[in-house]
Amino acid sequence: MSAFLARNRLIVLAYAGMVVLLLVTALFSPGFLSVSNMRSTVVLAAFVGIVALGQTFVIIGGGIDLSVPWVLNSAAIIMALLCGGQDLPLVWVMPLLLAGGAFVGLINGVGVARFGVPPIIMTLATNVILQGLILVLTGGSPTPSAPALIQFLSVGRIAGFPVIALIWLALTLVATVLLSKAAFGRHLYALGTSATVAEFSGVPTARTTILTYVISGLTAAFAGMLLTGYSGQAYLGMGDAYLFTSIAAVAIGGASILGGSGHYLGTVAGAMVLTILTGLLPALNLSSGALLVVYGAVILLTVSIGSEAFAGLGGRLRRN
Amino acid sequence: MDLVTVTGLSKRYGGIVALSDAAFSARAGEVHALLGENGAGKSTFIQILSGAVQHDGGSILVDGQDYRPANPDAAQARGIAAVFQELSLIPDLSVEQNTWFRHEPRTWLGTVNRAEMRRKTLALLERYNFPALRPDQELRRLTLAERQIVEIAKGLAKDPRILILDEATSALPAREAEWLLKLTRQLAAEGRLVIFISHRMAEVRAIADRLTIFRNGATVAAHEANAVSDTEIVTQMIGRHLDRLYPERVASATDRVALSVTGLSSGSRLSGVDFILREGEVLGVGGLQGHGQRELFQALFGASRASGAVELWGKPASISNPRQALTGRDGIALVPEDRRGQGLLLTKSVRENLTLSVIRRFSENGLLSRQKEADLVREMVDFLRIKAGTPEQLAGTLSGGNQQKVIFGKMLLTQARVLLLYDPTRGVDVGTKGEIFQLMRDLAAKGYAILFHSSDMPELVHVADRVMVMRDGHVAATLEGDRISEAGILRAAMLEREAA
Repeated sequence: MSAFLARNRLIVLAYAGMVVLLLVTALFSPGFLSVSNMRSTVVLAAFVGIVALGQTFVIIGGGIDLSVPWVLNSAAIIMALLCGGQDLPLVWVMPLLLAGGAFVGLINGVGVARFGVPPIIMTLATNVILQGLILVLTGGSPTPSAPALIQFLSVGRIAGFPVIALIWLALTLVATVLLSKAAFGRHLYALGTSATVAEFSGVPTARTTILTYVISGLTAAFAGMLLTGYSGQAYLGMGDAYLFTSIAAVAIGGASILGGSGHYLGTVAGAMVLTILTGLLPALNLSSGALLVVYGAVILLTVSIGSEAFAGLGGRLRRN
Repeated sequence: MDLVTVTGLSKRYGGIVALSDAAFSARAGEVHALLGENGAGKSTFIQILSGAVQHDGGSILVDGQDYRPANPDAAQARGIAAVFQELSLIPDLSVEQNTWFRHEPRTWLGTVNRAEMRRKTLALLERYNFPALRPDQELRRLTLAERQIVEIAKGLAKDPRILILDEATSALPAREAEWLLKLTRQLAAEGRLVIFISHRMAEVRAIADRLTIFRNGATVAAHEANAVSDTEIVTQMIGRHLDRLYPERVASATDRVALSVTGLSSGSRLSGVDFILREGEVLGVGGLQGHGQRELFQALFGASRASGAVELWGKPASISNPRQALTGRDGIALVPEDRRGQGLLLTKSVRENLTLSVIRRFSENGLLSRQKEADLVREMVDFLRIKAGTPEQLAGTLSGGNQQKVIFGKMLLTQARVLLLYDPTRGVDVGTKGEIFQLMRDLAAKGYAILFHSSDMPELVHVADRVMVMRDGHVAATLEGDRISEAGILRAAMLEREAA
């Protein structure tokens, strides 16, 4: 048990932070711990968590995916356009858009792994290109409302549980198996720790890198569709907030932003922390500008506490 | 009076005692060798002297005054500089910019005085007779050996009274290593104290006036160098009697060809290499550094692009990446040159490192079996006698010798029977060196075929069945039997080139 704690210190810290934050928030806004409020917090956290799932894989592998905002937004808008408010087209629209997200990820991954384009440049470029394409496609006009089935997935309940929370739980299980129980996970941690050592050890580094971006494209597209259900419609710019939150959730969850460490279970706590924060700050009666400042500062602080520099004060690798 | 006197020095890292009772004294104008196995405390000792870490207990006197530097700058202010094995140079800067880094000569405006820096660099290079280095060369274009030489220039640029050389010769080819030994004597003659760490007994013999031996974090003995035998030194270092470093060479080569290479070429450094390696054979690869040895190993392992025909166990093999090289019993495995940069995930556990190349061997239906993995790990830890607290210990915290054993274990688990060993004993303590040589002979006896490069020529002479000498990217000569000697290797590597 103590070995488990030592190895996963940062993840445990993320959960501890989440609990503390919950209690603090409850002090300022007494209704916060109510069942209905917790339910809506989890629903909001799920969107961050699902986008951050792919981001977690990419970051552990030593990369970063800045294309999530417009992969998400594109999936949302194209889904709304193709379905026209009807449920039936979802049968082919959903698989199509998931494949589309995966395809964007494939392009990102191939650019990074095969052509050596730095991840920041590669994914920033696809993000801008997608943004442009969507503007051309919609001409800026509003889209039809979301199909009822998608709305059920995002805001519906089964036996009192939000459907999206169940989806999130299932995805968490899948991600955990991939990271902890599959060869892919071992390859991924090795790749993020040292691409050269991984290559010399026979790890399929290019394939592993590409796969992380594909997963990120998939989860961003999926989150885009679900988010359309939550808002009732798709709109331009709906993915913008998820660039920062998806990366922050991974970092708060204890992963090194340089790759090689971390776990999706930490990211789950990170997504919760970020969402609880957005619930806490309004309770402090701050203006929306001041809110953003505090939000950014708190995230910076949280991430720094878990960062190498702080952790390194005591435990840096020493050689004799 | 002694320039440095250390008594009862101790240092702990958490629960680990790195130094418990180190004593040391040395005079100005002498070369003082520091000996000990990896993990004996030498590195901690010099890190304390150079200001990189601070000691917990004991005292250090320099010039009779208390010495406790808070950082390397403070140590330099007292005239102490160190040249470490791990290089501290910046790849994008030039030789001179690295040499004077943070101590650049300034103009009255505060900008770097380039003319003065160039002049001082040239003066330094000339004064100490540095081998071919140009001040304006960019570091990233230099070989490992050349970088090590720049590191030495950087240490000397501080004009230290005490210079610490940590394994400075280990990355140097024979001629440059010889230069460094001369340089060391010259520095001592100038009245400086040189603290010299090396695992090569011959070097210590050649230059040291006195030596201090460390074991398990404490000083066990200090000698006048000419008053003690090699055997005594080794016995004191390892705390027991080591029969001999090199195992008996029992010929185990069969007629079966394990690896056959024809016309292997790669870039400008490797041109038309032909050789065969037999089952049960240790084939040495020698020659002056930079004559294609590295390129040969990388090309065979698929780590660089190459043309030519390669056959493994009689079947044509086309290996374009390490993953293909490591596939199965007919594969080919490499112990790479750069242990920390190519061989090990330092921040991951011994277990994760050992099994990284063989994840398929303990997967069932795509899921990992921790039980099967633990079995594989235990098998290797026992077989190689890897000294780690638990398999979960981080590889970066092991001693150099044990790190190298982990890399051997990772390679053996792949079941490849053709092994490429590139300088496997570099920076490894003498006890582990002996174990590695024994392991090589044992593996050969089991039918493994081993291609073995070493920058330490006696190793080739004593361990290999045949030695292939490389020159200008091809095989200049292959020595067998009595013809294998240091002189023979050097002759093949150098002389015929002069004639040509």
